[in-house]
This record gives sequence, structure tokens and C-alpha cells, in this order.
Amino acid sequence: MQPISVVKGEYVRELLNKGIREEGRGMLEYRSIGVKHSVLQNAEGSAQVDMGSTKVLVGIKLDMGEPMSDKPNEGNLMTMAELLPLASPEYETGPPSPDSIELARVVDRGIRAANVIDLPALFIEEGKVWNVFVDIYVLNYDGNLFDACALAAMTALSNTRMPKYDKEKDEVIREGSLGKLKINNVVTSCTYAKMGNKIVLDADGAEESIMEGRVTIANDEKVVRAMQKGKRGAFSQQDIEHLMEKSFEKSKELRRLIENAKGE
Amino acid sequence: MGGGANKPELIVNGKRLDGRGFDELRPIKIVAGGLKNAAGSAYLEWGNNKVLAAVYGPKEALPKHTQDPEKAVIKCRYAMAPFSSLEEHNRSGPNRRAIEISKVTKEVFENVIMLEDFPGSEIDIYIEVLQSDGGTRAAGITCASVALAMSGIPMTDLPYAVSVGKANGHLILDLNKSEDNFSDADMPIAIGPRTGDILLLQMDGDLSKEEVGRGLTMAKKAGEIVSKLQMDALRAPYEKILERYKV
Amino acid sequence: MSRIVVPGEILAEKPLRMPNALTEGSRTFSTVLGIYDEAKGALTALEGLWYPRRGDIVIGIVEEARLNSYNVELNSPFKGIIIAKFVETRLQRGDVIEAEVKELDETRTAVLMRPKKLFGGKVLDVKPSKIPRIIGRSNTMLQQIRDGTKSSVMVGMNGRVWIKGGNIALATETILKISEEAHTSGLTERVKAMLEKSRGPEERIPEEG
Repeated sequence: MQPISVVKGEYVRELLNKGIREEGRGMLEYRSIGVKHSVLQNAEGSAQVDMGSTKVLVGIKLDMGEPMSDKPNEGNLMTMAELLPLASPEYETGPPSPDSIELARVVDRGIRAANVIDLPALFIEEGKVWNVFVDIYVLNYDGNLFDACALAAMTALSNTRMPKYDKEKDEVIREGSLGKLKINNVVTSCTYAKMGNKIVLDADGAEESIMEGRVTIANDEKVVRAMQKGKRGAFSQQDIEHLMEKSFEKSKELRRLIENAKGE
Repeated sequence: MGGGANKPELIVNGKRLDGRGFDELRPIKIVAGGLKNAAGSAYLEWGNNKVLAAVYGPKEALPKHTQDPEKAVIKCRYAMAPFSSLEEHNRSGPNRRAIEISKVTKEVFENVIMLEDFPGSEIDIYIEVLQSDGGTRAAGITCASVALAMSGIPMTDLPYAVSVGKANGHLILDLNKSEDNFSDADMPIAIGPRTGDILLLQMDGDLSKEEVGRGLTMAKKAGEIVSKLQMDALRAPYEKILERYKV
Repeated sequence: MSRIVVPGEILAEKPLRMPNALTEGSRTFSTVLGIYDEAKGALTALEGLWYPRRGDIVIGIVEEARLNSYNVELNSPFKGIIIAKFVETRLQRGDVIEAEVKELDETRTAVLMRPKKLFGGKVLDVKPSKIPRIIGRSNTMLQQIRDGTKSSVMVGMNGRVWIKGGNIALATETILKISEEAHTSGLTERVKAMLEKSRGPEERIPEEG
């Protein structure tokens, strides 16, 4: 960690000990969130989310491919995340880090478990299905990538063009009048950071630098769809029960942002 | 680029397929700044290309064996996003083409950055192509120049880049993807506007000696426009604030 | 009349000697994004880096504590070093210090003297080119911030500000405003007005934890 991060971390610890956060933010309050959909045109779907100074971009591509051998009648969802070196002095070029793989898998799990995409409907013909590629690009890191990326992925999927397959020419048609990828459900996540006996929602970079434990709860309107506990620190059962409760509350704000970012 | 029997006509009635004249640029938009963690950054749209550039450093070059005791070293990454093309999904991370572009881009900036001011340091230049439509290396260099100026790293010039090609016997400026695919030649060029020096030159296809000369002249003329857009983008954030307090 | 200039832009068709500019043949050009005042013949960097100079006050963070010396991070490509015997109490990694540049050694490391440990508080990194404005002519701006926020504020030429006590949120907001508007005139008055009317977004106590 860079020396300046250590100092910034110590300052937010000092504040948290007094029960406060920078800029007067509540313990379970998000920073300001900006959501823009269809920011790219070549991708079938895209969205950019700004959460405080965290900035992420998701691009969706649909390609024709082969089904997995164990699910011959279903399309595939493939989620990848890149912690781009331009996003933070701590990120490096090279193969995907365990952090980026965890991030992609947790976002993927929420989407998959909530049946956001109707995968059986992506079957074309024997041996041919649609592959949905969800690529997460982290452009600027300032904490809470999990929620920002889940929100961007969900927004992008909600605004994705469905390409057509021309059987005669054996070609994928990506332009012209196309329908939209059918979305069955909306999933969002809320991520909490624990330091000492304090738990905060949407930790920024400085807060994450002193975070001992982290838990992500992804849910739709009715049920919990995915969870991930990270870092060394532990949570009690009461913590988790309380945070699930809060997530159902907080996810209403997030779902509204996705709803408002829906194109025609 | 390529030949083949079913090569489409790229010039119809003296105009290009997208309606541009032979020496006409696509629309360009540049925004200076935007990424908080970087020392300097910029975002650029050039036709349908969308490119993000960021600069980190100068900082201690690591690992240590990469250090040059006389001057700073530049590390440059140019990469295309897996969702950047209209066609299928790409693999992520730089391929051989991207690594070559990263190298020649780095060499452009080695010419203009005052490297001797920072011995033992490294300067990182990151160029991410978010959407591609031909001419992404030119777009990347043009964008990275603005990001570098925003970082405060001293430079002797503010390079821009543009490409010139040939289609149906005509020299054309700033090829888009479909022109690039079927043209007879493509020649990306980067130039330092103060000196007029050529800082990047690549070419493939067929061009006569005379056409190369005309192409370079064409690029420099277009460069006046690109250069001005870079300068405007750099001034814009400051002028906006000056405007706010104008009496 | 002053104008905003970019790297490589010609300032004059004659040789001029000034910081952030170079002369080639009979022409002088800028090497930075800056403001050039033709009448005064001065080029001020809008975006610029810090080059250590003897006597500069800096704020650094101890990066490594060795037996005989400390390596100090200075928000800069230039490192700092403190000889341990000049420090009364032992420093450790992560300590924030204020110090003065004694000299640049042959490896272009800034040798620091009179280090003073700064306890607690908040460290804010800004562009070094904005620091002169944050300090103001004979400390006026800085004093204004201190008076208006009741915070202790220390400023390093290396682009680093340390704030403790008082209304830290307001002090932060003020410093960020000064950095953003460093190139405008009438800034002192506007900052004064801002400090007078604003109690700032006082860090409030949230309802639950």
C-alpha cells in the first residue's frame, strides 16, 4: 500500500471512532451515484456508473457459440472484470488478479442466481447458442467496486440489443432493427465494510484500506440471491441478519436508478 | 486492408461512403481530465472511436533494473476493450498488434517528454480503446498527449496523430474501419506541431514516393485542426472557471 | 494580457529565460500547460510538478525507517531522506512529517532537515502548482483558512497539505476550491466570503451505526 493510503486510512479510522464519516455521510448511506446507459454503440449493451469517485464501465457483447456440454440447450453467461492500470496506482498490468476474478464472479453469481437472463431462451439450434459476455472495466478506483459493477452490469443488461442470426448466410446481424435482450429480474448488491465494531455501507478507498471484513449481499425484490464475505475480519449472525434487512431497504434506491436509466 | 476480388468501391461520385471529402476529418471531441487517481487523463471521441488515456508518475521506476540513472523511462500500454468492436467479442489484454502499437506510441512520447528531468523514474501512459472504428492508434496518441499535458510533466511539444490512406487511386485522410479494411494503403503518422517532426510513421499497402509526400502534407494540414482541438480541450476547464468570475 | 498556453506553444519570437520555458534558436516555447503573462514575461504552470529546492518546506510520509536514516515519500518523483541522528524521537513508517529541504544529493534525493512529526489529522494531496496560491502573498490566504476554520493547516511545497482540528471539512473544501480556481483573480475575496458565510458541511453524527 502507498504511504499516503496508510495516512488517509488512519484519518478515516479517527473519524469512525467518533462515529462519523467524511463529508458528513451516514454509516449506511451511499455516495452520490450516477448511472448512464448505452454509452457505447459497438457493444450490444453498456453502462457507466460513478459512485463517488469510483468509475466503472460495463460492455456487453453477444456472440454465437457452442453450448456447454452439460447444458446443451442453454446460452452462456461469461463475466470478466479488469482492474485497469489507469484506475489506480496500485493496479498493475498483467494477468487477472485474484481480486478481479472475485469481483467478476460475485457480480456473475448475482445475475445468474436471480435468473436475470433467460439462458434457455438463448438456444438457437443444436450446437448453437448465444454467449453473453459481460465485461467489467474499472476506470477509477475509490472503493466499493462490487456494488458499482453490479449496478453497471444490471443497467447494461437492461439496455442490451439482441442480435439476430441469419441461418441462410450463417451470419450474425448486429445492426438495423433489433429487439432487446429479455430481462427476467433485477438484482443489485449492497456491500458493507467492517472496521472494529463499526459497519459502513459503500466504503470508499480510504475506508477500504482499513477494512477488516467485507460482506456483499445481492438481492432482488423478494429474496437474497448471492452473498460473499471477504477479508480477514468476521461478522456475527446478528450482523448478517441486520445487513440483509438493510439491503432490502437500500436496494430500492439502486433499483430505481436502473429503472430510470432504461432506454426506449 | 487487403485486396481480394470483391473489394467494394470506397469512393462514389467523388465522395467517400460516409460523405466526407478526401481530406476531411471525422468529428473529434476531446475532454481533458476526468480520472481522479491519475496524474493526468483525457477522453477522446474521434468518429466512432472512443478512447481513454491516463498518465501516472513520474515515480520511482520498479523493478529497479528498469531504472535509467540518466533519465525517466516510459511504460506504455495500448489495449482494446473486449467490447470495443462491432463484430465479435475480443479476448481481453494486449495482443501482438497492441504490444507493437504500445511500443511505437511510447517512442513518440520519448521524443517530447523532458525525460532527463527525472532520472531513475518511470512515467506510465495507459491508453484504453473503449470503442474502435479505425485509426485507434492515432486517436490514442492524440488523447495521451492531452493526458500528459494535464499531468504537468514537461514536454517540448504536444504531438497529434492522424492517418492517411489510399482508396480507388485517391489519397484519403483519416480512414474509418470499413475504409481501412479495403483500402490500398494506410499510413498512420504522428507529428510534433511545433517542430513539424515526424514522430511515428508506419505504412502498409502501396504508395508512390510522390503519394507519401502528398500524404504527409495532407496529414500536417489536418493536424492544424487536431492540434487546435487538443489546445482547446486543455484550455477549456480553466476558461470555464475564468468565465464564471468574469466581471 | 495573459493567455493559457500548452506544451510546445511559442511564447515569443525571441529568446527569453524563464521557468517552464525553453529557447530554441530565436524562439521561446512553453513546456507546460500554463498561463503566460506577456507584459510581465512570466509563465506560471497550471499543471506542474515540484522540483525540490533548498529551503522548501515539505510535508512527507515516512516510507521506510532504517537504522541510520528514514526514506520519506514526497508526493513526487523525488524522494526525501532524513538522517536519523537529526531526529529526537524515532519515526516509523506512516508518520507524517514537516521538514525543510537542506540540499539535493548526487542521486537527486532531497536531504531533509528540522523534521517535525505531525500527529493525527488529515493529509490532502493537491497539484504542487497550486501551492503558492494556497499560501497566498505573505501567507494571507493560508492565515485566512486557519482563522476561518480554526484548523491547524500546514502546507508543503511538494503539493501536500496537512489539516487538524477545527472544521476540517470546511478547510478541505476551501483548499480544493483554491486549487481549482488558482488561476483566477479575486480569489482571496471569494474565499473570505465563503469562509464567513459557510459553516461548511459540518461532519454530522449519523442516526445509526
